[in-house]
Amino acid sequence: MPDVSVLKCRKCGALDAGPRLLCPNCRSRALEAAQVEGKGTLLSWTIIRRAPAKMKALAPYAVCVVDLEAGVRVTGRLQAVDAALRPGARVRCAALEGGVAIFSAEA
Amino acid sequence: MRSVSVAGIGSTAFGRLPNMPIEALAVEAAATGLEDARIDQREIGALYLGNFISGPLTGQEVLAGIVGDNLGLPNVPCTKVEGACASGGIAFRHAVLAIATGQCDAALVVGVEKMTHATTPDVTAALNCAMDNRADGVSGLTFPGLFGIAWRVHTQRYGTNREQVSAVVMKNKRNGLKNPLAQMGANLTAEQIAASALICDPLQLYDCCPASDGAAALVLVASDRLDRKDRVDVAATVQTRGAARIAGHPDLCSFDATVQAARRAYEQSGLSPKDIDFVELHDCFSIAEVIDSEDLGIAPRGKGAVYAAEGRTAVGGEIPINPSGGLLAKGHPVGATGVGQLYEATLQLRGKHPNQVQGAAIGLTHNLGGTGVACTVNILKRSDA
Repeated sequence: MPDVSVLKCRKCGALDAGPRLLCPNCRSRALEAAQVEGKGTLLSWTIIRRAPAKMKALAPYAVCVVDLEAGVRVTGRLQAVDAALRPGARVRCAALEGGVAIFSAEA
Repeated sequence: MRSVSVAGIGSTAFGRLPNMPIEALAVEAAATGLEDARIDQREIGALYLGNFISGPLTGQEVLAGIVGDNLGLPNVPCTKVEGACASGGIAFRHAVLAIATGQCDAALVVGVEKMTHATTPDVTAALNCAMDNRADGVSGLTFPGLFGIAWRVHTQRYGTNREQVSAVVMKNKRNGLKNPLAQMGANLTAEQIAASALICDPLQLYDCCPASDGAAALVLVASDRLDRKDRVDVAATVQTRGAARIAGHPDLCSFDATVQAARRAYEQSGLSPKDIDFVELHDCFSIAEVIDSEDLGIAPRGKGAVYAAEGRTAVGGEIPINPSGGLLAKGHPVGATGVGQLYEATLQLRGKHPNQVQGAAIGLTHNLGGTGVACTVNILKRSDA
């Protein structure tokens, strides 16, 4: 299971999904990439059927919002959508595509 | 701070206007507003123009200066403001502040957008400029997608169903039939809506507002300078910022920018949701009206769609929402929308609206931009209210 790359503030330790230039908590510039476990809870998703021009080849695809156990909320995509998937489902990061976390239901 | 009033209003129709370039739309609405105000253009002390994507879609910027020049305004500040779909509401607030703080006695507000000449992928790409492209953009999120995600949460938490949300669509489309400026009024059935194409589950085609051309304008003046029986006063104008990315929202089916703007607007005016006679709110999607009505305190949390289904938000109901047809039926020329809402509200308060709310004395407008990153809430009232 690939980790998800987030930002960690070297000064105050706050985590953020990023990208960001300053820590929104303490305004420090010292943000570094941190790897967190890709396990979390699915909050919601939708299937994008009419994609922006540069994403057209990928459509239809599912964009989702996940609360990672590490305490960061991230936007990503779902590997597959099936009827069993519900908000609140346990998901894990199955792949990374261009820096975007691709989630699938936890077995 | 001085009291500010609406002295004049003007608007083009909203819709497909192939023979009207962007500056012609803006000048037409503004000239009508000046005529309605019976004011000479040389008395205008500032112009604020709300526009979102004239650059990418028409290749034309410095619109505020171009419009000021065409109107023959004196050498006064002409400023374009941008806050995605909330650009018009922001322009209005800046004009109110210019008069309230004594910078000038009269100001012109214009909102304008030109969209229907562009292809759908070009419009989608331009609208996506309203996203934090470093964050949400890379995931492939679109604005209908944002509201599809919100709808799913609303359904899971409150049990909101297709039929209830369709009540919002049917109401606004029906209201649009009565508004001569509206792009897409219609008598729709729940079956037609449920059979329309899926856009971003559960969002379907009829849940989405169209792309539009259009412009609206208001002439604002210091209240003590205006001798007009049907004077409409600004009781509150508030602008807020919310999360610039979807993952930044603590709640995926509420916009903090709206909640805060409404709270401050009620505080500023000394009014409460119960005092409001009608609302023009930002129904870019059907589910947006549901969420907005709850965020504004008009419907109880979770009940926005139920309120529409029970007819409470229809004209003649206890709190009419979007008697103009809203964005769903009147159309959404993005930068013009916020000013268009204030145009509609002023007509209601003058008692001259084609879909009149009987006895309307106090109206609220709500304009939301981007992922909820910019919001304005305004309250207008009849001067005798």
